Order: sequence, then C-alpha cells, then structure tokens
Amino acid sequence: MNLQFASLLIALPLISAFFVPVIKTISRKAVMPFLVIITAVQTGIAAWVFEEVYTGGKPIIIMAGGFKPPVGINLYIGHFAALFVLIIAVAGFFMAVFSMKSIGVEPKDKYAMLFLLLMLGATGMISTGDIFNLFVFMEITAISAYALTAYNKTGEASEGAMKYIVLGGIGSSFFLVGIALIYGSLGTLNMAQIAQLAGNINPTVAQAALALLVFGLAVEAELFPLNAWAPDAYQAAPHPVTAMFSAFVVKAGLYAMVRIIYLLRDTQAFTGILRLVLILGTITVVIGELSALRQTNVKRMFAYSSIAQVGFMAVGFSLGTQAGASAGVFHMVNHAIVKALMFLAVGYVALELGGTSIEDFKGLGKKMPLTAFAITVGAISIIGIPMFNVFWSKIQLILAALKVGKTGVIALILGASLVEAVYYIRLIHTMWFESANGEKVKENFTLGVIMLLLVALIIVIGVFPNAAWNIAQKAAADLYNVSQYIKNVPLLPGVSP
Amino acid sequence: MSIGVYYFGAVSLILIGLYAVLVKKNLLKILVGLSIMETGVNLLLISIGYIAGRSAPILSEGVGPNNAVDPIPQALVLTAIVIGVATTALALTVAINLYETYKTLNIEELRRLRG
Repeated sequence: MNLQFASLLIALPLISAFFVPVIKTISRKAVMPFLVIITAVQTGIAAWVFEEVYTGGKPIIIMAGGFKPPVGINLYIGHFAALFVLIIAVAGFFMAVFSMKSIGVEPKDKYAMLFLLLMLGATGMISTGDIFNLFVFMEITAISAYALTAYNKTGEASEGAMKYIVLGGIGSSFFLVGIALIYGSLGTLNMAQIAQLAGNINPTVAQAALALLVFGLAVEAELFPLNAWAPDAYQAAPHPVTAMFSAFVVKAGLYAMVRIIYLLRDTQAFTGILRLVLILGTITVVIGELSALRQTNVKRMFAYSSIAQVGFMAVGFSLGTQAGASAGVFHMVNHAIVKALMFLAVGYVALELGGTSIEDFKGLGKKMPLTAFAITVGAISIIGIPMFNVFWSKIQLILAALKVGKTGVIALILGASLVEAVYYIRLIHTMWFESANGEKVKENFTLGVIMLLLVALIIVIGVFPNAAWNIAQKAAADLYNVSQYIKNVPLLPGVSP
Repeated sequence: MSIGVYYFGAVSLILIGLYAVLVKKNLLKILVGLSIMETGVNLLLISIGYIAGRSAPILSEGVGPNNAVDPIPQALVLTAIVIGVATTALALTVAINLYETYKTLNIEELRRLRG
C-alpha cells in the first residue's frame, strides 16, 4: 500500500470530527458508537503504520501537497512517532468505549468532536516535522483540552479550565516568541533544516529561544512552575478525558520539548538547557510526590502521581545520553499503560459509587473486586515492584544515571518510589482490608475486559521486558540520533534560507 | 524609523500583558492581559520579517520577490491571530460559566468560595 496513506492518521479524526453534526441530525444515539468506530479505524491505521515502520526500519515521510521540504510541510513518522501514534489510538479507543458508559451530560455530540480533535492534536504534535505546524497542533490539543476540562459545567470544572487557559495562553505566547527567535536567526521552520543549521545560530539567541520553548511546552508537559493547572483540571474533567490527558497529552508535550532540545544539539546552549530541564524535572518529582502524599481524593492523588512520573521522564531525557533517552521513552510507554488503566478504574468507581474521595474506596475489594484488582496491579506497578512493567523503566533510568555519574538522580528515583509506596499501599489497604457497608456491584463486562487487557499488558511487559525495551530503544534512537533524522528528511537541494 | 522601535514595542506589549496576567485580580482583566501578550508576540513576528523600504508581499506590477518583505511571518501571524481569537472566545465562555456559578469574577473570591 502507498505509504502516503499514513496521512490518514491526521485526516481521519479531523474529517470525522466535522461529520459528527451530520451524524447527530440523523440520530442522536449514533454519535457515541460513531466515535468508537472511528477510534477503532484509527487504531487499525496506526497499527499498520507501526508495522510498516518497525519492519521496514525506515521512517515514513509524508509531504503535504507533494511539495518537498523545506518548501512544503512534512510529517515525519519515525520509530518514536509510530509507537506513540499507536498508543494514542489505542488509548483513544478504550476511552471512547468508556465514554459510552460514563458521559451522561449533554451535548454528547460536542464531546465526540472535541474528543476526536484532542486525538488529532496529539497525533499531529508527535508526527509533524515543522516547528510552526507543531505550534498549530499544540494549540488544537490545548483548545480542545480546555473545552473538555470545562465539559461538566460545574464550578470546579470551570475553575480548572480557567487556570489551564491562562497558563496555556502564557505558554503558547512564550513558545511563539521562541519560534520567532529561531526563524529570525535561521530563516527556516523545518525541523530537519533547523538541526542542520543549528551550528550557525548565535549562542545567546539559541539560549533564549530554547528557554522560551521549554517554558512554553512545560505547560503541556506539566513541568514544575507551569503545572498548577494539572491537579484541578484532572480532577474536574470527565473521567475518560483525565485518562487521555495522562496517557498521551502530557507525553505529546514532553516529546515536543525533547525533540526541539535535541534538534538544537549543535548550539552551545544545549548543555545548559539540559541542566535546566533536569532541575525542573527534579522539582516536579519532589513536589508531585509530596503533594500526592496528603491527598484525600484518589483522582487528585493519581493526578499528582502522574505529574511526578512526568518528572522522571524529563530527568531521563535531560541526562543527555542515548541510554537516558531510551529509559525516558520506556517510562513513557509504561506510564501510559498504567495510568490509562488506573484512571479508567477510578472513573468507573466514581460512576458506580458516586465519588472519588478515599471514603468511597473503603471495602472496594468486596464491592467491585475486578476494579479493585486493576487499581492494585497499577499501584504496585507504579511503585516499582519487580515483575511489573514500571520496575524495568525505573531500573533503566537508574542505570542511565549511574553511567553519567549522577548519583543525585538515583537518590531521587529511590526516594520518590518510597513515597509512592506509602500512599499507594495506604490506598490498597483501604480497598482490601477496611470494611464498609454496601452492595456488591455487578461490574460491566466490556470495561472489565479492557481493564484485564491492560493488566495483562502490564504483567507481560513486566515478565518479558525485552521486546518492549527493544521498541523503546529504537524509538529513543529516532529521537536522539539527530544526524540520522536530518538524513531521513529529503530536503530540497539548493533551497536555503 | 529603525526596526528597533518595533522590537521594543513588541517586547513592552508582551511584558505589559504578562504584568496584567500576574497581578490583576479581575478575571476579565487577566484575559485582556493575555490578549495584549498575544498582540505583542504577533508584532514581534511581523517585525522579524520586515525589511526596510520594501512593500507588502503581494506579487503585482513592479513588486517582485526582491522588493517585497518576507511573507512567511505574515502567514504565521495570520494563523496565530485565529488561534488567539479561538482561545479568547473559549476563555470568555468559561468566565461566563464561572460568573453564573459563583456570582463573582474576582479570583481571590473564587478561591475562597471554592474553599
């Protein structure tokens, strides 16, 4: 099949989003099934792209309108993008199924549209090869995320969304100034060409531009000074949306940040920026874990835990070695699986029992054994117990830190795992050993199957980590090896800024 | 007039907007601050593509590629303006929702009401 069909990854959610009103006029009931079908098709396309890229070993370059870069905008679906596009599609599909049950508030057609646009934005952010196109996709993601946060129309939802909008607005302005500086000094927006010419950029300008880009993307990536929106938004957003934020929206932001930093490796600002990201990541981990410790609302606790995990990934990427990048990517994959499972389970509990405060989780093991089991597996996996997937990515992070002699990072990871153990084991204890009155709930079959699938994935990766680790290493090489990236993009000869 | 004036204006607009966002207590003023910031960024983008003495990048009689300014930043600004409008509109709808729930737009009051 023609590889240019991979552009359907962008085109399908976009056109389907605008088909939703048409579907709605035919039948209101058909909107949610339509969403499920589209996400299933998207998963199929993503699986095909993943297979093509990993067996062919070559990235797919899509040239919009047939114009060669840097004249036209190109999409670059390399190993990393192929992997994450698949994760986005699968997570989107599961959450679309969950949405059929959990979204009760009208207008559902608007929800379906925003849902598809959120997927589109994240897919685009990960696969684009043009820095301004990245900005556009980031804004698509952000605007649909703002609207989805406010979807429940309660006071908390509006407040969370407002915080997100204000911080996101500041972040996007910073990001745009960063783009302006890069364009002003290099005269190009194509990522491959930026990497090629990065040596010519004035060091001061490079430093300012990179710092602005990092701060601009830190809003989406939930790094420390700009992540104040995250707990509120996570708590107030509809449950499937929270799972999607944690599973791929954050990762898209972090990916964009890391990609831009690595592209500008030839500038003198590179090491300084890595140190900045290391510091931001460390603070993010510390604040995230300590805040999670004193939460009484489980969804909010998971939100803080999610923030802390993003800090780990940032720390992994900021080591500046290929091993660090591989560990970061591996942690991204594992965290996406685990957090999709946990937010799904928590959302399901909230749906059945009416809330997400810790009181509602008392005796959950008796009331909803399958869901409680899923949360338990997710929790012990995140803590980093051997035979579960997150253990391996934490080990790889520690090994990568050991190789560059950063003992502080090792202490950070071990200490944070200890704090995680405290609050997750407290939750597990509440679920299984505290009695509470209440009927046993009949658990939904489809959601049970999804949860068991994710649990199985956690355990399979935990017992046989090699296959997943190989994939993560290839994805990280795509991110880390910039000279190969430049070679892969067929830049039109003779076009120079 | 030298190009420096535009850069100075753009940076001051960004800083004024940032000041409003960080200091003001009224939600609407914060949103106005965000808009000012966006305007500043747009002005910065436009001035980066400006070349003294050249005309608008519209190919017509007497205007070739060599005597027009750089068209790319202008295309970027057009996109950025559209995005800015969308963000502002969404922010205002959320502000309306907040006002209907809490009957205030003062962010300190909002924080207190929520407890």
